[in-house]
Amino acid sequence: MSDPGIPAPPAPAAPDPAAGTAEPVAAAPGAGSHALVDPAPAPSPFAGLGRGIDRGIAAGLSRITGGALAPYQSAIVRIGFSLTWLLFLLREWPHRSELYGPDSPWSFDLAKRLVAGNHAFTAVLWSDSRGWFELVYAVAVISSAMLLIGWRTRTASVLFMLGVLSLQNRSVFMGDGGDNVIHLMAIYLVFTRCGQVWSLDRRIADRAAAKAEARASDAAVARSGGAPRLPGSAGTDPVGIALWLLLGAALVAATAAGKLSTEWAVALWAGLLLQALWWAVRRYAPGEPRTVLDIMADVIHNGAMLVIVVEVCLIYSTAGWYKIQGSRWEDGTALYYPLHLDDFTPWPSLSHALAGNSLMVMLITYGTVMVQVAFPFTLFNRRVKNVLLVAMMLEHASIAIVLGLPFFSLAMIAADAVFLPTGFLRWLGEQVARPLRRSSAPPAAAAVPGQRSADDDAGQPAAGPSPTEAVT
Amino acid sequence: MQSEQGDKPQAATLSLPARITVAVTVGVVAVGALFHLGMVFLHVAPSNTLSKQHATAVSDYVYPEFEQNWKLFAPDPLQQNIHVQARAEVRKAGGGTETTGWVDLTATDVADMRHNPVPSHSQQNELRRAWGYYSDTHNDQNQSTGSGGSDLSSSYLQNIVAGRLGPRLNGGTVVRIQARAATTSVARPTWSGESVDTTTQYRELPWWTVTTAPAGQENAS
Repeated sequence: MSDPGIPAPPAPAAPDPAAGTAEPVAAAPGAGSHALVDPAPAPSPFAGLGRGIDRGIAAGLSRITGGALAPYQSAIVRIGFSLTWLLFLLREWPHRSELYGPDSPWSFDLAKRLVAGNHAFTAVLWSDSRGWFELVYAVAVISSAMLLIGWRTRTASVLFMLGVLSLQNRSVFMGDGGDNVIHLMAIYLVFTRCGQVWSLDRRIADRAAAKAEARASDAAVARSGGAPRLPGSAGTDPVGIALWLLLGAALVAATAAGKLSTEWAVALWAGLLLQALWWAVRRYAPGEPRTVLDIMADVIHNGAMLVIVVEVCLIYSTAGWYKIQGSRWEDGTALYYPLHLDDFTPWPSLSHALAGNSLMVMLITYGTVMVQVAFPFTLFNRRVKNVLLVAMMLEHASIAIVLGLPFFSLAMIAADAVFLPTGFLRWLGEQVARPLRRSSAPPAAAAVPGQRSADDDAGQPAAGPSPTEAVT
Repeated sequence: MQSEQGDKPQAATLSLPARITVAVTVGVVAVGALFHLGMVFLHVAPSNTLSKQHATAVSDYVYPEFEQNWKLFAPDPLQQNIHVQARAEVRKAGGGTETTGWVDLTATDVADMRHNPVPSHSQQNELRRAWGYYSDTHNDQNQSTGSGGSDLSSSYLQNIVAGRLGPRLNGGTVVRIQARAATTSVARPTWSGESVDTTTQYRELPWWTVTTAPAGQENAS
C-alpha cells in the first residue's frame, strides 16, 4: 500500500493479442530499407483500453471494499491533530476563559448573536455558567487525550470533533489558519478508522484475540465436550456499554432541551445508534452481517481519506495560486514583510537577520510558491512528492519558530503527514516503540505472539501484557 | 468499536442482499465525497462562472462548518504594522474629569510574545483580528459598511479596550473610552530600491461610553 487516496493505478493495459505482433522486432541486417517501406501498422494506443478500464474499476472496487486503506497514514493524522489540539488547550489553560469562556471580550451575548445568524455548532453557548464552560473545556481536553492514545477511537473522535467545534465556534475571531485546519480535520476524522494501528484499541483487540486463540487451542487439546465459543463473537464490553449509556443520556438531555439543530440531532443520534448496532452485530451476528458492516466502515473510511487528501491539496493549491497573483510574491520580497510584522516576530533579531539577506528572501519566497503550486501534481511521482513533502514540513517547522506559530505549524505538519510513505511510517513507529517497549515490558512476559501475520494492517505484535487491563 | 478484521471474505463471496448493501454504500460514499469536494473547491476557487451560478448552494453547504480561507499571506502579505491604541476619560474623586494619554495595547501583546516560543491566541489573534473585523465592517469614517456585523465588531473592540484599560485609571473612574489604529508601513527592503512613507498614520474611533455592568454578563436572546 503506497499513499492514501491515490486510486490504484489501473492495471497496465496489456497489448491486445488481436493486434498481433505489432512491435517490429529488430530488422534483419540488410533488410532495413525494406522494413521501412512497409512498416507494420502502429498499434492503436487505445487498443484494449475498454478492458483495461474495466479491470481498473474492478481492481479499484475490490480495493476500496477490501479493507481500510492507509492505516498508518490515518493513524498519524489522528495522532498529529489530537496532539496539536491537546497541546493548544493545555497551553491556553491560563487564558481559556478569556478566549472561550465567561471572561471573553467576545461576550456570551455577541457570540449568541453571531451563532444565531450562522447556525454554527457550539455547546459552550448552551449555558452562560462558568461551570458549564469548564466542563466543555475539560471534555475537549479528555477527548483529545483519548484520541491521541486511540482508546475507544471512534467515540473519542466524535467527542474530539464536538470539543473543537464548540470552542472554536464560540469565539471564531480568536482563531487563525491552524484552527481552521484542525476544525476541518476533526470533522473528517470521525469518518475514518484511524485507530487501526498505534492505538490502545489495537493492543486491546490483539490481546483479546490472543487470549481467544489460546483458549481455543486449549479446548482442542483437551477434546472435552462443552459448547465451543462462537468464533469471533465479541465480549459484552461493559465499559463500552457504560460509555454509550452516558453519552446517550447526554444526547437525550441535549435533544430534550432543544439545543441541537435538526442536522446535528440526526447526525449524533445516527452515530449513537450505529454504535449500538455495531456492538450487537459483533456479539450476536459475527457472520455475514458483521462482515457487511465491516466493509461499509472500510468504504466510509476510504472515502474520508480521499477527502482528507484532496483537502490538503486544495489548501496548498489555493495558497499557492493566490500568491502568484501578488506583486510581492512576484518581485521576490514577500517573505521580508512578515519578518517585520510585530505580531509574527517573537525573535526579532533572528527575523531581521533573515529578512536582511536578499538572496535568501528571494529563494524562500519563490520556493514557497513553487512548492505550493506544484505539490498536488507531484503526487503522481512518489520520489518527487517525498522530496517536496520534506521541504514543506521543514518550512512549517521553521514557521513555527520564526513566525511564532507553533500550533498552526504542527497542524499543517499533521496534515502533510497523510502523504508520508507507509514504509517510513512503520520504521518511525518502530523507532518510537522500541525504547518504550524496552523500558516498560518485563521481557520474560513478552511472549504474546503476533496473531495477524500477513495482513498489512497488522500493527505491532502485542508488546507484552499491560498491567492495567482492568482500566479498559 | 474498532476495526477488528479477521479473515475477511471478499465482497464477492457475500449473499446478494449483502452485496447490494455494499454497492449502495460505495455509491453513497462516492457521491457524498465528490459532492463535498466539489463544494469546497467552488468555495476556495476564485469567483468563477460556476461558483457564481451556484453561490447560494455553495455558501449554504460550506458555512458554517466547512468554511475555509487559505489566502495565507496572499495575494500579498500585510505590509504595515497596525497597533490598536486606547485612551480613557476618567472621573476623579473631586468630580473633575481628565483624559489619559494613549496606551498602546498591541505593544503590550507584542512585549508578551517576545522570546515566547508558544504565544497565546489571546496575544497574537485577539486584538489583531478584532481590528480586522472592525475595519472590514466599517469605512474610514467609522460608518457601517452595511454588510452586517458592524455592531458586533464595534462592541467586540469596545469590550477588549474596556477590559484592557480596566475600570480605574490614573486614580479615577473610567467613564468613556476611545480607540485608534496607528498604522506604520514596513520600510521596503533596502535592496528593492523602493521607498515608502513610514510615518505613522492614525485613525481615531468615536468615544464610547463605558457601561457600568461588566460586559458579558447580560444574557440576551
